[in-house]
Amino acid sequence: MNWSPENGMLLLPLALGWLAVWWLLPREKPRGRILGGLIGVAALLVLQATVLPPAGDLVHDVMFYAFAAAAILCGGLMITDKNPVYAALWFALTTLAVCGLFLLNSAPFLAAATIIVYAGAIVVTFLFVIMLAQQGGIGGYDREAFQPGMASLLSFALLATLLFSLQEWGGIDGKAADEARHGQFVSVPTTVQANLLSQAPESNPREIGSLRVLGRSLFTDYLYAVELAGTVLLVATIGAIAIAPRRSQGHL
Amino acid sequence: MFDWFQPNDVLWVIPAAPLLACLWIVLVGHVVRRQYAHRPVVLALAVSLAAAICLLIHVVPSGFGHAGEHGAHGSPSHAIIKHLYQWISVGQLNVSVTLRADAMTALMLVMVTSVSLLVVIFASGYMHGDPGYPRFFASIALFVFSMCMLVLAGNFLLMFVFWEAVGLCSYLLIGFWFQKPSAAAAAKKAFVVNRIGDFGFILGVFLIWTTFGTVDFEALFGSPDLIREIATQDPAIFTTICFLLFVGAIGKSAQFPLHVWLPDAMEGPTPVSALIHAATMVTAGVYLVARCTPFFVLAPTAQMFVAGIGAATALIAAITALTQYDLKRVLAYSTVSQLGYMFMSLGAAGADVSLATHAVTFAMFHMFTHAFFKAVLFLSAGSVMHSMGNVIDMRRFGGLRKALPITHITFLAGSLALAGFPLLSGFWSKDEILAVLFSASQDAKHGDFYKVILGVALLTSLMTAFYTFRAYFMTFWGKERFPEEAGHHPHDAPPAMAGPLLILGVAALFVGLIAGPTHLYGHYLEHTPGLPEAHAHEPNLLMMGVSVVLALVGIGAAYFAYVVSPSVSQGLKKASGPLHNFSHEGLQLDWLYLRFIVNPLRLLARIAEVFDKWVLDVIVDCVGFVPSLFGAVLKPIHNGFVQNYAMVMVVGLVVCLVSVLRALAGGM
Amino acid sequence: MTSTALENQLIVGAILFALGMIGFLTRRNLILIMLSAELMLHGVSVNLTAFGRYHGNPQGQVFTIFVLTVAACEAGLALSLILTLYQRRKSLDVFLWGNLGEDDLRVLSGSSSSTQPTTKVVDPNADFPHLTPAGRAPKSPVTKT
Repeated sequence: MNWSPENGMLLLPLALGWLAVWWLLPREKPRGRILGGLIGVAALLVLQATVLPPAGDLVHDVMFYAFAAAAILCGGLMITDKNPVYAALWFALTTLAVCGLFLLNSAPFLAAATIIVYAGAIVVTFLFVIMLAQQGGIGGYDREAFQPGMASLLSFALLATLLFSLQEWGGIDGKAADEARHGQFVSVPTTVQANLLSQAPESNPREIGSLRVLGRSLFTDYLYAVELAGTVLLVATIGAIAIAPRRSQGHL
Repeated sequence: MFDWFQPNDVLWVIPAAPLLACLWIVLVGHVVRRQYAHRPVVLALAVSLAAAICLLIHVVPSGFGHAGEHGAHGSPSHAIIKHLYQWISVGQLNVSVTLRADAMTALMLVMVTSVSLLVVIFASGYMHGDPGYPRFFASIALFVFSMCMLVLAGNFLLMFVFWEAVGLCSYLLIGFWFQKPSAAAAAKKAFVVNRIGDFGFILGVFLIWTTFGTVDFEALFGSPDLIREIATQDPAIFTTICFLLFVGAIGKSAQFPLHVWLPDAMEGPTPVSALIHAATMVTAGVYLVARCTPFFVLAPTAQMFVAGIGAATALIAAITALTQYDLKRVLAYSTVSQLGYMFMSLGAAGADVSLATHAVTFAMFHMFTHAFFKAVLFLSAGSVMHSMGNVIDMRRFGGLRKALPITHITFLAGSLALAGFPLLSGFWSKDEILAVLFSASQDAKHGDFYKVILGVALLTSLMTAFYTFRAYFMTFWGKERFPEEAGHHPHDAPPAMAGPLLILGVAALFVGLIAGPTHLYGHYLEHTPGLPEAHAHEPNLLMMGVSVVLALVGIGAAYFAYVVSPSVSQGLKKASGPLHNFSHEGLQLDWLYLRFIVNPLRLLARIAEVFDKWVLDVIVDCVGFVPSLFGAVLKPIHNGFVQNYAMVMVVGLVVCLVSVLRALAGGM
Repeated sequence: MTSTALENQLIVGAILFALGMIGFLTRRNLILIMLSAELMLHGVSVNLTAFGRYHGNPQGQVFTIFVLTVAACEAGLALSLILTLYQRRKSLDVFLWGNLGEDDLRVLSGSSSSTQPTTKVVDPNADFPHLTPAGRAPKSPVTKT
């Protein structure tokens, strides 16, 4: 990778983000959560500065930034919260924010389905289990993270790799050299015709996420995959019933 | 008669019958009807004996009986050869499994099969109720098979194979009661000591092969000119061959200094002692030397060595036998002593080649008679042991004359024959040996050496009579005493034991009488191919007289010391305290072996152990330490926590991603 | 209708993925580990829909539906497994499940005093298979004397 000084622009938000996560991760002696939160917010703001300036619909951009910030902040709070019940609730909020992003990507059906599946089913079930298992309060193992510095460093290294590569050739057609020189993320062509993968007939963005298009795609192109997914669900159901402890084996 | 009988076609019957019996017991008989395991062996040995007698009749030219005195030497001597299959064929070495029979073989076979048949019948009574009953008879059958094959072997290599096989059977049978530590140790000792001799034997065979290019008896002994040529060309090699072969004989026939295993071998069951360690196996050495007479006659030095070793053995064993209290040990030392006698005879031709045929003949004749009277002595001792509750110490019983009449008679017959009482077996054979030694001592060149040998032989003869009758009087005369183990009423031998005892007793008395004065045996044996021409043999009346006097003096002395006035023997024992102990301990030979051979070897083993433990093991440990060091470096990764593994995966993911991206960037 | 720049959405997806990974690697509560895995799936889903939007086809959303299906299966199975594990140890601590590790290594759950929530409950019904230790030093017959 050709290293240019502008690439260093990304290091600051990454370092701040790592510091924030590391600061916030639960440990034996609690730290000020506000300080960590401030560092995290600062990281996000610095990152925002390197991101392309909003171009286009103001409402759309505001909504995107709001949902993105909510998803990231709630995700960060989820993995750093000591109380698993709160963590599950933060996860539900993250899910809601991600659904907002789905909506912006014209996927209303997906957003509804995700809310139903995650917030309605998965999170509730997790909450049940947590409350069942932790009637005595927060366990000691929730108060301390395992190798927080090392793990978050590694994860941020991965993130940095992703971001650098995005910065290097953000454009799929690779015309990014000029913008990369300014340390900014390249903009991809907004005209879908430039892409071979794009489908002209379905080009109406409103139509993409509609039930009609999605259903036609699922049950024609992906019929086998749908059947397989159904089978997987069935097997998982049977497996869960088989694995789950019986009453005869003792109490929870 | 017997026109249908072709000896070379049924030659294989003699060893095959016991082998089949052995296999039968091993495969079937030790499970089914265990208490009748002796029957197939008895049957097989009877078949073998019949075949051996047929062979005896047919192996020499017909008309032998009439023309024996005159025409025997003129008629072509021949051997019967049965080629079974090619065994080894490597380069110039061609060894086949060949059975070869001549007069000497036939006589040996008759002796082996007849004695073993009687001993097996005796053992069926003696071993009755033993938990290893089928194993015993399987081993005996295997032994008889091996012994017959040893005698019948047509070349040196095959002979060596069965030489080892009889050693193995001896090991198995000495250690028959392997639960007894002493029996296990004795078996091990016999095997190890025999191995020394066997090593000499196989070296001799190697040397024969490198010298002559063949190990086949027929090729070797059929060409006396070749042997003579090599003997004159390279006498050193030739003498070495004879020495090495004799070393083999020393081991197997328990000659000084390898005789120490035979007394210990008495730990085995008594029938085994009678069959293997008195009558048959130990005579294999004598047979080997006799078989190799064409070699030995050309190596006077080796012959004198043979005679010297024989004399030393005879004397040492006789001295040791004087003071033993264990009845079987007396007989064991007596066996060693008599084997020494045979070797003295075999070595007698060192002075004069013309004596060779007589020397061999008388050695073989003594072996033949000795087999019978020593077997009857051992079996009688076994009978005594049987009724005394396995007590064999002569100090603990006495006066058994009344209690064991049959055993008493047979033991007396054996003792008289062994002591050389006039007109009995031992008298004839021993007398002839003395005669041939006397002839040798008349030689101008080596006469002095053979005078010493003759003196030793006479002294041994006296001692033989004394210690034999010492044992006899201590056991059967005096006040009647029984050990506690015997119970209240000691019973004499049951019919299965008494029958063979009586047959052997009669044989011990009269075999010599039939064969001795008539020279039947000697003339028969002269048909063996390879024996040199001999002059006619005339009895030596001087030696005969001396030997009779010595035998009677020995018997009389024993009678005086142990029956008339036992205090004399006690006084004698006290007067010669250290000497008595020296004799009782077998001239301290075991102690010497322990001190000078066993202990240094043990020290060597200890050093090797230390070397192994502190040098080799350390090296191996170091080699093993390297991977464990690598393992210690990598081990913390493997701590069993799932998140740790996930983290390693993340590391791998990052590395892969970076390298892929670098590659892509480089390509652009 | 305009849409947000693709790379901005990809950045959001990458950050969500990284956060989920941090949670997966650091949290010791079995349930939170599973929740973190779901967070990583969210990041992927955001990427997929963004690409679908960018290319103007429904494939991204179809894939997201499959991701949703697999996530549901995974959640169901994970919960039943967690319940079984909980029943054995009476705790959700993942450190209690280090049985695959080398014996002589440091036991992580005992490394800190305050993080000693539950002692190991020995389940009499637990019949785990165990291997014969390899490479045991053979006894020398010489030293036995």
